Amino acid sequence: MTCAQPVTGTTGIRWQKVLYERQPFPDNYVDQRFLEELRKNIHARKYQYWAVVFESSVVIQQLCCVCVFGVIWWYMDEGLLAPHWLFGTGLALSLIGYVLFDLVDGGEGRRKSGRTRWADLKSALVFITFTYGFSPVLKTLTESVSTDTIYAMSVFMLLGHLIFFDYGANAAIVSSTLSLNMAIFASVCLASRLPRSLHAFIMVTFAIQIFALWPMLQKKLKACTPRSYVGVTLLFAGSAFGGLLSISAVGATLFALLLVSISCLCPFYLIRLQLFKENIHGPWDEAEIKEDLSRFLS
Amino acid sequence: MVLKAFFPTCCASADSGLLIGRWVPEQSSAVVLAVVHFPFIPIQVKELLAQVQQASQVGVAVLGTWCHRRQEPEESLGHFLEGLGAIFSHEPWLQLCRERDSKFWSCKATYQQVPTSPGAHSEDQVMLIFYDQRKVLLSQLHPPAALPDHQAGDATASACGLAAVFDTVSRSKALFRSDQFDEGLVRLSHWQSEGVEASILVELAKQASGPVCLLLACLLSFISAASTCRVFKLWPLSFIWSKLSTCEQLRHRLEQLTLIFSTQKAENPSQLMRKANMLVSVLLDVALGLALLSWLHRKDRIGQLADALVPVADRVAEELQHLLQWLMGAPAGLKMNRALDQVLGRFFLYHIHLWISYIHLMSPFIERILWHVGLSACLGLTVALSILSDIIALLTFHIYCFYVYGARLYCLKICGLSSLWRLFRGKKWNVLRQRVDSCSYDLDQLFIGTLLFTVLVFLLPTTALYYLVFTLLRLLVVTVQGLIHLLVDLINSLPLYALGLRLCRPYRLAAGVKFRVLEHEAGRPLRLLMQINPLPYNRVVHTYRLPSCGCHPKHSWGSLCRKLFFGELIYPWRQRGDKQD
Amino acid sequence: MEDELSFSDIYGGRLALQRRYYSPSCREFCLSCPRLSLRSLTSVTCTVWLAAYGLFTLCENSMILSAAIFITLLGLLGYLHFVKIDQETLLIIDSLGIQLTSSYASGKESTTFIEMGKVKDVIINEAIYMQKVIYYLCILLNDPADPHGISQVVPVFQDCLTAVTLPWRASLWCSSCLLLDGDHGICTD
Repeated sequence: MTCAQPVTGTTGIRWQKVLYERQPFPDNYVDQRFLEELRKNIHARKYQYWAVVFESSVVIQQLCCVCVFGVIWWYMDEGLLAPHWLFGTGLALSLIGYVLFDLVDGGEGRRKSGRTRWADLKSALVFITFTYGFSPVLKTLTESVSTDTIYAMSVFMLLGHLIFFDYGANAAIVSSTLSLNMAIFASVCLASRLPRSLHAFIMVTFAIQIFALWPMLQKKLKACTPRSYVGVTLLFAGSAFGGLLSISAVGATLFALLLVSISCLCPFYLIRLQLFKENIHGPWDEAEIKEDLSRFLS
Repeated sequence: MVLKAFFPTCCASADSGLLIGRWVPEQSSAVVLAVVHFPFIPIQVKELLAQVQQASQVGVAVLGTWCHRRQEPEESLGHFLEGLGAIFSHEPWLQLCRERDSKFWSCKATYQQVPTSPGAHSEDQVMLIFYDQRKVLLSQLHPPAALPDHQAGDATASACGLAAVFDTVSRSKALFRSDQFDEGLVRLSHWQSEGVEASILVELAKQASGPVCLLLACLLSFISAASTCRVFKLWPLSFIWSKLSTCEQLRHRLEQLTLIFSTQKAENPSQLMRKANMLVSVLLDVALGLALLSWLHRKDRIGQLADALVPVADRVAEELQHLLQWLMGAPAGLKMNRALDQVLGRFFLYHIHLWISYIHLMSPFIERILWHVGLSACLGLTVALSILSDIIALLTFHIYCFYVYGARLYCLKICGLSSLWRLFRGKKWNVLRQRVDSCSYDLDQLFIGTLLFTVLVFLLPTTALYYLVFTLLRLLVVTVQGLIHLLVDLINSLPLYALGLRLCRPYRLAAGVKFRVLEHEAGRPLRLLMQINPLPYNRVVHTYRLPSCGCHPKHSWGSLCRKLFFGELIYPWRQRGDKQD
Repeated sequence: MEDELSFSDIYGGRLALQRRYYSPSCREFCLSCPRLSLRSLTSVTCTVWLAAYGLFTLCENSMILSAAIFITLLGLLGYLHFVKIDQETLLIIDSLGIQLTSSYASGKESTTFIEMGKVKDVIINEAIYMQKVIYYLCILLNDPADPHGISQVVPVFQDCLTAVTLPWRASLWCSSCLLLDGDHGICTD
């Protein structure tokens, strides 16, 4: 290319990267200093394997929640699990969780949010009253809709719950509200298939406990006592696996494989693939405004 | 510019004499109005012209001479006629001459004064335009030209073009008042010279109309005073009045009659036409109503009608019951919620039961009611039709109730679902900014919202089906009522008098004129025949349409469908009520 | 005085233009459209009747046949009375006005007379019709409220949309005739 050659007669003049001065160079000319500003992988992060495995436990937890819910519903539907027993257990576990919730950080979170115990009691009462009041309606709600439709709808809703759940990533798709609502919708759909209205009531209550309250406790555990959190996760995964094993061995195996691949294989791949990252930055990038411009706007 | 001479066809066979008319200098056209026959005394002719000019404010003058040669050409007459130009000086001086046995006339226009530019035309091109004086006099141009200013006299000739011709002819009625049998000193020839056109009946009616109008106006003012009485304006009554189409029609009819029999004289032709249209439409309406009345009272038809009415209402109720029972099953395999279905079905069944008992309670009185209602037909067919519309509204009241219940329920569901769907997605409607914003809800809000959302979603098909069925029934009733209203509006607003006039006397309503070129011979002036171009029927209807009581539905089809979808109530009469407010 | 020219309209049909000069101040242009051809009439009638006969064999209801006859008759009457135009005439009378007449095949005539005082201008307008540009003659009318405004555009020979050459000549004649009247300067463009 002729235009890329420096003009010999103008050796004294250095090329400048400006537009406001007339220079004896063609328009597309750059000199050797151009690539000096090239930077590589400035935003790439180095991951530790076990740290990634630890972080992936949130996904494991949520998968296990859905699995446990499915297993419990199956037991209820088959009549193998008495609703009173489930209710008692759920109540007891909730109380333990409630006490733990305050004990873990020494009541600091409660002081920060300014939420009183009376408000908690009111929320609990609202849950219980509404669910109990609506349970006869829920019982007859989907009588005329075929069971397959209900199953399909529930599966879609639970998948949506898993997709939109807030795993701690900062993405546009994350919406904890939508995720929770989808889980509740699925649980209402499934509860309406149970034989009696008491069953439906207890199923919906259980759904609130496992989809709304349990993740809150988890988050706090993870933040304050990571060691116990790992233990709880392992315990929970084990119980979900055991519950599924009692229903179907194949399903349990597949579930175990899924858990293992998510917690061990995916972090391994992430770290391996990180080595191939070639991210270049330089003066050709779009301008990035770092400063907060809001003070100029007013 | 070509000189145009407008010549009345009725004067074509007149004896020789003087041409009387008006000269319109702007268009260089001469409008001949009449012919003065020999013998005459010039002073008397001038006096007559002065009288006419004073009466009509039109500059009537002697325009020239008219020579009709029946026998051998008379040399002396020709000289005499030329001499007349010296007595009645006019610029230009027309000399029309009709030869014996010849269709072609000769016409000369001479300027006696020395032309400003020597060598220019002293004899101009002339065009003869024949017109029918009677038709031009009686016709009314559309659209009306700028209102002729009666005080301004000659200045009104500024009315452009042919409107000036029409104006001149219509204002020189004073000239046409005398016929040839009068003992007048000046003998004229014009359209009424064979005898003045008049009718004894018309004259009698004109004389009688004054007292009759006065009497009826008094009567009507009493009635309207009674109708504005304070008792009728109390709350429930005024509400009922505004909803019943009969009252609306009666009020409209009262206004019409007040306008017809008002003692004030109509100021312009359009007002007169409006009055006549109203009178004819009222008369036709009453005649049709009387025909209906006589038909009803022959062979005891009212009794048969009353006997038929209760079974029909029963039948309708029975059909509705069947429909409800069908809906309470699983209609068309739809996924209905059984419990809600049963509740709604029983509620509506009970309503129908109430309705049937009400009808049976009414049944002994129905014949008497119908008899009295039938009498109202003598007020006009429109009143009877309005009453029929009201009766239909009353008899289908249960359908209306069902529709309102269904629509309210459906509207509630749709509104609830739309806001709960926003909650489901974690959004909310921001009223201040008129948009959907994201919002963080509490756990219990989310839970209750989603629970309600699920319940509403599964109950929606049931409500929507009930709503759909009852809306269709309601639309049927509204369509029937709308057709009746359309008929009433048609009778109220159709300008029957104007249409009749257009049919029988097409020249009375003129859209303009048209010209026909008559047979032509070289060297002779061009002859045109001016005819009246009648107004097309659609323009007659458009121009003279009477104001109806105006209850046209205002919303378009799109907005109607939108309202139906969102479950808003549709009233046929809402617009009218709004208009009055 | 009379002469005759022939043109083709935008569909390719033949049009005959007759010019009559009654006097220097009065002339007439008369445009005759092609007559209703027997072939098209027969084909339309046959189509309707065949369709009606097909329906009749399906439903075996003789009402259909009588309905078809009525529809054909009414359609023909309506077509002749409201749609089919045989002749369009433009009569120009100096210092008086312009008269447009269209005579329908049934003999109905509709006439519009435009007074010379209302004529603002006579122009040739161009329009896009299907895939080509057509030119037609228009009369612009004065707006009484606004001395510079135009209240209406009246197309001349509207119903037999003509090819390029005809309006050009007609416009020449029209303008030359109007120019006799010194008050109204008429230009063509």
